[in-house]
Amino acid sequence: MKKLSKLLLALTFTLSITSSAFAVVVASWGGAYTESQKLGYGDPTAAKLGVPIDWVDYSGGLSEIKAQKEAGAITWDIMDVFAYDTINGCDEGIFVEFDFDKDFPPAPDGTPASEDFFTDMPSKCAVGNILYSWNYAYNSENVKGTPKTIKDFFNTKKFPGKRAIYKSALTNLEIALAADGVKMGKGGENIYNKLEAEGGVDRAMNKIKELCTDPNGGCVFWSAGAQPPELLMSGEVVMATGWNGRFFNATIGEGAPIVQVWDGQGLDYEYFALVKGGPNEADAKKALAMMTSTEMLAGSAKYIAYAPWRKSSIAVMEAGEPWYKDGKTNMVPHMPTAPANLKSYFLVNAEYWADNGTELGEKWEAMKAGL
Amino acid sequence: MSSETKKILTTDGIPLEESLKKSERKNKIKAFLLVAPLLFFLLITYVFPIGEMLFRSIDDRMVSKMLPKTYVAMEKWDGKELPSEEVFEAFYLDYKILVENKTAGKLSTQLNYEKNGFKSVLKKLARKQKKFTEGNYKEQIMAVHKRWRDVDYWRAIKRRAPEYSYSKYLKGIDMYENEDGNIVQVSEDRRIHRILWTRTLEVAFFVTVFCFLMAYPIAYLLATLPMKYSNLLMICVLLPFWTSLLVRTASWMILLQQQGIVNDFFVFTGLVADDNRPEMMYNKTGTYVAMTQILLPFMVLPLYSVMKTISPSLMRAGKSLGGTPFVTFFKIYFPLTIPGIGAGCLLVFILAIGYYITPALVGGASGTLISNQIAFHMKSTLDWSFASAMGLMLLAGVLAVYWVYNKLVGIDNIKLG
Repeated sequence: MKKLSKLLLALTFTLSITSSAFAVVVASWGGAYTESQKLGYGDPTAAKLGVPIDWVDYSGGLSEIKAQKEAGAITWDIMDVFAYDTINGCDEGIFVEFDFDKDFPPAPDGTPASEDFFTDMPSKCAVGNILYSWNYAYNSENVKGTPKTIKDFFNTKKFPGKRAIYKSALTNLEIALAADGVKMGKGGENIYNKLEAEGGVDRAMNKIKELCTDPNGGCVFWSAGAQPPELLMSGEVVMATGWNGRFFNATIGEGAPIVQVWDGQGLDYEYFALVKGGPNEADAKKALAMMTSTEMLAGSAKYIAYAPWRKSSIAVMEAGEPWYKDGKTNMVPHMPTAPANLKSYFLVNAEYWADNGTELGEKWEAMKAGL
Repeated sequence: MSSETKKILTTDGIPLEESLKKSERKNKIKAFLLVAPLLFFLLITYVFPIGEMLFRSIDDRMVSKMLPKTYVAMEKWDGKELPSEEVFEAFYLDYKILVENKTAGKLSTQLNYEKNGFKSVLKKLARKQKKFTEGNYKEQIMAVHKRWRDVDYWRAIKRRAPEYSYSKYLKGIDMYENEDGNIVQVSEDRRIHRILWTRTLEVAFFVTVFCFLMAYPIAYLLATLPMKYSNLLMICVLLPFWTSLLVRTASWMILLQQQGIVNDFFVFTGLVADDNRPEMMYNKTGTYVAMTQILLPFMVLPLYSVMKTISPSLMRAGKSLGGTPFVTFFKIYFPLTIPGIGAGCLLVFILAIGYYITPALVGGASGTLISNQIAFHMKSTLDWSFASAMGLMLLAGVLAVYWVYNKLVGIDNIKLG
């Protein structure tokens, strides 16, 4: 039975390999994001290396690559994944473990790669790509006054109206505790300590519940990244959490009256992982090292408001301002890692979520069911 | 008396019976060859994956193979208090091998399904165990992380001992088998699956009812109007059917939201005050409206195809025999449409029970259905055995509906056209 299923899966996957036998295949999220990757560092790397790089879309998660591996017909070389997935994929033996400073080039000034990257990697199989932010924004035409802090997001007396929050518990628990008066600590350490302590999770859930059942407040749960700006613009909600790149697009790209608030932002990351036993592993490794070099990472920020992982990339951007593709917008202030935006933030703790994700998910859904 | 009768022979001397059988066999083989591709197709696309799912949902050999010594040592442990030194030592020895073979990650994933919090603890143990000295492993392991002093974690390991188990099915209805072998409920704040099951059934049921109520008159009109009008109406039914599901869901969002077109219209006509716009989305109303519209064609089409075959003379006959329109409808017309109703309702119900994009987008807090949970375990946690178990439970639910329908109406009484 197992054999037959392998054969079947192998058949389907070999059929899906077409002309790209010698290219490096990168699976990423598609849309404007992949566009920025392709233009920012994909194409320049391919030109330098002389190996074509093909971008294929996938919708996240490791189920597809796991199926490919079980079938013995892997078609992807590199994957663009969440921290959580690099941990799981590393544990499952799907990805290659890196020798970080040996596998990735140092910064132009000679700083080794491991120090040039903004933080440590969540697993040995990950190399950083972009940093993005879970922050919140409001529509300045619908809100009286100016919300400035994460507490204001939960303050329905001062700013009445519905809020849009992410459909699952991820980052919601963190901001709830921060708004409830818990100090962030270094990179949000304190928040996660509180969440691990007795009663911490309940405290966070209650804070959310309070907001959602408040007659002056109320919650809309968003699931797709395009929803928060849309909900703000239509006036459906007065404030919404979301991904900073989406808010940036709405404000700079479309001229919407949307203002972002960086206080209490959650910094999250995207990573590249190298698939073990991919069709073109050797070339993929070279391409990956090149794509994550200082210049190349800075390139993608020309097209989207996500910050390159390397600190040295920011210097490249600063020297080249206005960096955004429209030729007039300075990009560095819009980066989640700009010093002005980093006054109070937490780093989304992938290990905590890998550990507790399922249980918290169940509690979260049970809480939502009682709303 | 001899029972022997003379066999009838064909011209070439072979008994007729045999010759007949021979030619029939040929025909049978031919017939089989004709259906063989379909059979093969069904086998590999339907029977086989379901068999694999069933197997996956009960197969738990991976963990037992990874911790052989531990489970031998655990046989004597009653699960009441922390296990003895012997168990700790066996666990350390097993785990050491896993770390050396670089398969420790898989164990941590599996145990994390059983009890959250194992991942980081095991990872820490993998780092620290290299410096362990011989003897007194209990103390050494417990010193690595405080969770090793929590008997719950050891119970969780013990629960994974059997090679085949139905525990994933129990988990699907928020139950588990505790250390005394009793089947009990999980703690109250984690009972989510049963809520999701009932919610899924409820949504599917009401969507089916609404679809039926709306589709019946439409199908009737389609079947009875003159051709030129019914064609136009048919296009109206089919056009949304050909439009992408996401586009339709998104357009409902534009229509139904508080600042949306429908509400604007209400305010414009003075039905509601501007600051008191009703919420028609991000709640159950939105789910029902959008799903009913999306699934409507699946009800209209079978109803239409059945109604088309009902001769109008039957109704006329009923009326001429003195029946009021009401009586003739319920005595004659309605019973004749039951095969179509059955087909439509089953179709809509089965589709609705597995739906999730639409409720997730327009359903708000109640927009999570059981299929979202299955997708979550397929894609994020990679707990495919639990996802398989829930998938099979969903399938069993559909089969149960099918069975009830068969008992009530009879499955022969179903007609798609």
